[in-house]
Amino acid sequence: MNGLALFLARFQFGITAFFHFFFPPLTIGLGTLLVIMEGIYVFSKKEEYLRMTRFFMRLFAINFVVGVAAGIVLEFEFGTNWSQYSAYVGKIFGSPLAIEGLFAFFMESVFVGVMLLGWKRLSTGAHWVSTILNALGSPLSAVWILVANSWMQTPAGYSIGKDGIPIMTHFWRVVFNPYFLYEFLHVVIGSWEYGAFFMAGVAAWFLIKNNKDIVMRKALTIAVIAAVMVAVGQIVLGDLSARGVVRYQPTKLAMMEALWHSQKYAPETLVAFPNNKTQSNGPSVGIPGALSMLSYMNPSARVMGFDSSIKYVNQKYDLKLTPSMFPPVWIVFWSFHIMMYLGFYFAVLMIIALIFLFNGKLLESRKLLNVLWYSAFLPLLALELGWFTTEIGRQPFAVYGLLTTANSVSPNVSDLEVVLSTLMFILIYIALAWLAIFLFMKEMRERVSGKDEISGVITARNEAVTGKEVQS
Amino acid sequence: MSLDLNILWFILVGVLILGWSVMDGFDYGVGGLLGFIAKNDSERRYVINSIGPVWEGNQVWLVLGGGAVFAAFPLVYASVFSGFYLAFMLVLWLIIFRAISFEFRSRVSSTSWRGFWDASITVTGLGLSLLFGVALANIIMGIPLNAQHVDYQSLFSLLNIFAIVGGLVSLSMFMMHGSAYLVMRAEGEIQERARSFALAFGYAFVVFTVVFLLISPVFAPRLLGNSFGIAGDIVPVIMLIGGAGVILTAKSRSEFLPFIFSVIGIIGAVISIAASLFPDLVPSSINQGYSLNIYNAASNPHTLFVMLIAVLFGLPLVLIYLFYAYIKFGLKVKMDDSSY
Repeated sequence: MNGLALFLARFQFGITAFFHFFFPPLTIGLGTLLVIMEGIYVFSKKEEYLRMTRFFMRLFAINFVVGVAAGIVLEFEFGTNWSQYSAYVGKIFGSPLAIEGLFAFFMESVFVGVMLLGWKRLSTGAHWVSTILNALGSPLSAVWILVANSWMQTPAGYSIGKDGIPIMTHFWRVVFNPYFLYEFLHVVIGSWEYGAFFMAGVAAWFLIKNNKDIVMRKALTIAVIAAVMVAVGQIVLGDLSARGVVRYQPTKLAMMEALWHSQKYAPETLVAFPNNKTQSNGPSVGIPGALSMLSYMNPSARVMGFDSSIKYVNQKYDLKLTPSMFPPVWIVFWSFHIMMYLGFYFAVLMIIALIFLFNGKLLESRKLLNVLWYSAFLPLLALELGWFTTEIGRQPFAVYGLLTTANSVSPNVSDLEVVLSTLMFILIYIALAWLAIFLFMKEMRERVSGKDEISGVITARNEAVTGKEVQS
Repeated sequence: MSLDLNILWFILVGVLILGWSVMDGFDYGVGGLLGFIAKNDSERRYVINSIGPVWEGNQVWLVLGGGAVFAAFPLVYASVFSGFYLAFMLVLWLIIFRAISFEFRSRVSSTSWRGFWDASITVTGLGLSLLFGVALANIIMGIPLNAQHVDYQSLFSLLNIFAIVGGLVSLSMFMMHGSAYLVMRAEGEIQERARSFALAFGYAFVVFTVVFLLISPVFAPRLLGNSFGIAGDIVPVIMLIGGAGVILTAKSRSEFLPFIFSVIGIIGAVISIAASLFPDLVPSSINQGYSLNIYNAASNPHTLFVMLIAVLFGLPLVLIYLFYAYIKFGLKVKMDDSSY
């Protein structure tokens, strides 16, 4: 396999997976919040919650459809670009993808249609049930997609057949492979975090313009409370996930922490400039012993460095990997660290917002509302960086210990074909991203100019709501 | 030959392809018709809303079919999609544009914006309908799989005469199906126009199918010479019965029967292809021994068994969801403020 073909296949998969993942987290996060908003409406019958639901559902629909369209590409890319991978692990890896279609994606897609277009067709309760089923479908999709991905991280439940190809021996061990629960919870909570930040940011954007907007005031309250819970929970889960890496993927941990040589009292490096050639970090700042402490609850514990982790993996899986086959450590280090710093920032920001909310000062603080709006999409950055960490950090493996990425590429697809199709994907995805942002901002502006969330007609509603609010 | 897991999976994949071609098929058909059947924006909205609440669900058949082939016959998944690389990329781009067109179209009211997405819905509907047949005709002919089951060929070798006729069969089939669907779900003028389209595409489908069958001994002898003998040769006749039924019932102004016969035509097409391939899945045009069949391409029995259980539980659920969505939106299209 030549290096160019491998690079091209990786690049195309990277671009398409990166773009696809702009959307599913909001489908999961906002989907759950829609259930909450509509649920409050169903039980309280207060019209502002119906308006809130209908407005956020219009934003949800844009996000949903682009995510689905870009996701179908990934379902087939294993076959088009990674045929050796598909032929080698298909007996195991295909099953979670098929089950995802059967038990999750169908439910999500059928009920998204019912939910978006069925307002006049269903009773209030039945419509809410559709919203719930749609919102259950997307995390359920995540379950099976992450079964597939976590199996690539920590393969289990298989044996090697006569022809040297792994076959599934225990279905539930494939599903509950060691990394599955960490990965699933980390991703789904990250998605809720993004959903809550998105909702808070959007509400803040409207409140900066008109802080009497009763629909958005209530939306902000729901979003901030949700965001605090998930942002704090995510820090705990992030820690658990990293400890899973310590146990199962020593090479990834060494790259995440830019730890070149095994040592006791290993530092948690905060800033570094890792260089694969010299195997050193340049000027760096770290907390001595903190990595040992985080990894093993013991500051003097020995943590495996980059060089010895490669030796360990070679010995364990009977391989001959060399350091030159591994990715640039700085990418993994910084992806992981920026994600981690963002995670702390999210928790601090939302705790401050919550305090302001309880003191009744949040609506007066334009500064904080602006920060919330500017932070609305930051969890998405953290989510993508998390994928960089886990996917680049897994290299040079496609399936950890079992199959290298270099041995996964389709042998029969020419470099030119991949280049042409990648260019086309880039063009289409730039257009899609631009259209999605354009339509998102259009919905926002139209609401400011008085578009009614329920009928869709531009009315003098804003003044009416403002008037009511002033009286009460 | 006893009924084993591999044969069951062959049948199941056929059922999924059938689900896809019947349910996503009329979405493609209605999409392809959009540019011709509707005269103004409100008519176009009406046509789009005939599939509005259900196209998203219908599209999952494709994803499920892809996943099922990956799980049950991973070597087919690996060989076919890499072998048809650029053709398959084209399919993916069409699917992307089709999906966003439905959602984006109604968001801006300018004529040029809507015109662009309407054109996109039409072109993607026509393109996907055509490529379905092109791909399957190539598979029936056999593709140049080598001893490692790898297929090295270019995009252009997919466009041979037999495949083009196959593409015209599927194009007319899905257009006929979409027209028949609109006859069932539309009222007034749109229904009248749909009826004449159903008639025209019914004739086209019968003619192209006959041509396809007549030239098949030259290009793909297995289509009429499959392992089921006479019974296998009769199966393609079901396609013709479906097409003729659509023509006759459209003339007699029935609202439901054209759709029923259109479904029969599609069932005939899927069974014909399945019968001509069995027990192969992807015949090799180089050497019959290099072909992928339901045994050498399959997953191990444990996977096949687990997935069979999954399908037995999951497929009824899917049908319940779909049934619910269809009955909630009623037989005749009605527009309201949440329509596209």
